[in-house]
Amino acid sequence: MHRRVLVMVVMFLAAGSARGQSSPPTDQTEQVKALLERVEQLEKRLAEVEAKQAASPVTSAAISNVSTRQKSEPQGATAPPGPAHDHMAQEQAVAQQAEIHYPSLQFRGFADMDFSATDEKGTTSGFKLGQLVLHLASPLSRKISYFGEMTFNAHADGYTVEVERSIIRYDYNDYFKLSFGRYHTPIGYWNTAFHHGAWLQTTIDRPEIVKFGGTFTPVHFVGFLAEGNIPSGGAGLSYNVGVGNGRGDIISRPGDAGDINNNRAWVANIFARPVKLYGLQLGASVYRDKITLMNGKDYREWITSAHLVWTRGDPEFLTEFANVNHRQVLTNRTSNSQGFYTQLGYRLPWFEKTLKPYYRFEYIHTPKSEAVFTNLDLVESIAGLRYDISSYAAFKGEYRHASRNVLETPTFNGSVSGLFLQTSFTF
Amino acid sequence: MNATNKRIVAILWTMFWLSTLFQWPSSAQTTRGDDIAVVVNPDTPVNDLSLAEVRKVLLGERQYWNSKLPVVLLIRAPVARERDVVLRVIYQMTETQFKQYWIAKIFRAEAASPPKIVYSNDMQFELVTALPGAIAFVDARNVRPGLKVLRVDGHLPGDRDYPLR
Repeated sequence: MHRRVLVMVVMFLAAGSARGQSSPPTDQTEQVKALLERVEQLEKRLAEVEAKQAASPVTSAAISNVSTRQKSEPQGATAPPGPAHDHMAQEQAVAQQAEIHYPSLQFRGFADMDFSATDEKGTTSGFKLGQLVLHLASPLSRKISYFGEMTFNAHADGYTVEVERSIIRYDYNDYFKLSFGRYHTPIGYWNTAFHHGAWLQTTIDRPEIVKFGGTFTPVHFVGFLAEGNIPSGGAGLSYNVGVGNGRGDIISRPGDAGDINNNRAWVANIFARPVKLYGLQLGASVYRDKITLMNGKDYREWITSAHLVWTRGDPEFLTEFANVNHRQVLTNRTSNSQGFYTQLGYRLPWFEKTLKPYYRFEYIHTPKSEAVFTNLDLVESIAGLRYDISSYAAFKGEYRHASRNVLETPTFNGSVSGLFLQTSFTF
Repeated sequence: MNATNKRIVAILWTMFWLSTLFQWPSSAQTTRGDDIAVVVNPDTPVNDLSLAEVRKVLLGERQYWNSKLPVVLLIRAPVARERDVVLRVIYQMTETQFKQYWIAKIFRAEAASPPKIVYSNDMQFELVTALPGAIAFVDARNVRPGLKVLRVDGHLPGDRDYPLR
């Protein structure tokens, strides 16, 4: 009988200790909070004591003695500082530390490592080193800042280094900021929201209409850009307006080393972030250029685009549409190509919100009359999962199924499915 | 089981539940948080902001008080209650999302630097006093003379409808 009671006592103690062990994270947080409160109380006490000492006659006398001594002593001699002096000196030191020194270069890197396996004929599965991206940001004064972005890209025969963005910007105020350099063209949403670091975007790759090295929209732009907020109350309007070189000889590239004709491209983008719908952004863009192809033919290009996004993560919703109009200058023959994508993601509430399943649908149609692009017809579905390993690194896994026009791109077998994996991070 | 044993078991059972009750974090033990005051350098030309305007400032969408005075954002280091309230009420983000937001913001060339991290109320007080255009978030109990406390949605800390708590 006593043995039974003993067993129950042991169970009771075990239950108690187990309960005690189950709550350390809360206890630690509480302890840290308590310690912080204690530090704050001590700071208060210290401030009070210092104030009292400064006010007491002895200290005043000491201070007056010090000041007298300072007057009588030759310059360069140091007097033992009093507590009030210490406090002021400390304040100055903290303020000096917090002041930005110009230029103040900040450096950040992004990189990714990829794996792919598809059923596309003629391709092999395997690993691929993604882009290594270096980002530089440096305020040059209170109103002037510099941003740079460089990428190192792996190729079969070595590496190439590319200057992706190089921008110097003057901020007059929130309503007017003027910059010069090489940008990601402010057409639509994705191209200016996510740059070369794959870690920034939910998915492994960019949508086809804004793909690096793609031709559907001009991803880069060399020239100048004015941007800022528009006083619009709750509508939260902002704008970008720019003039630049436009597309180069190779239409996927901007005219970095000079324009290919005497016609400048221009771009205008307006978007709203309504105050009452925190997370929502909607906007529209136009882009106008004259393209001179390598065969000497000139085309007028007119791109119109619209986007609607909800960026909060639970859920994340991105959709963007673009129409590209080309008109041959000599013959007035026109063509319109359309492309859009819709992406939906949801940050699951479990595991500290580190898991985010997503789906994206993409569509591009180029008519047979299109003369500037090769055929880009595409219907693609992507389903994947992003797992944030830490605040600065993520794993992504995707299944993709894409269909393209077989006749126009004979190397492609029409319908391709594949598995894609990526680890991306910032450092 | 005889009467003595039953009594022992009853006592142990009562002790277990009492200990459980005392260990459980009751609503009485978790003190209701005080309001978080929005304080600025006294020379800042602003007295009243809506919560949406505070959010715009914290998101880096409003970077200037006027064309001569840039906003200097100060935010407490992790674990401080002020930071918890700012992240929960204004940013509506987790700690990770907050870090990622500012990395992306700088990478998009929309801001030259992230908010400055402050580690104590003293440091916060000194910086707000010393840096023109500085804005910080302080537990209303720790607001000191020399700082300008802003109204948020027309309310001061302590008001019933004050939104930052």
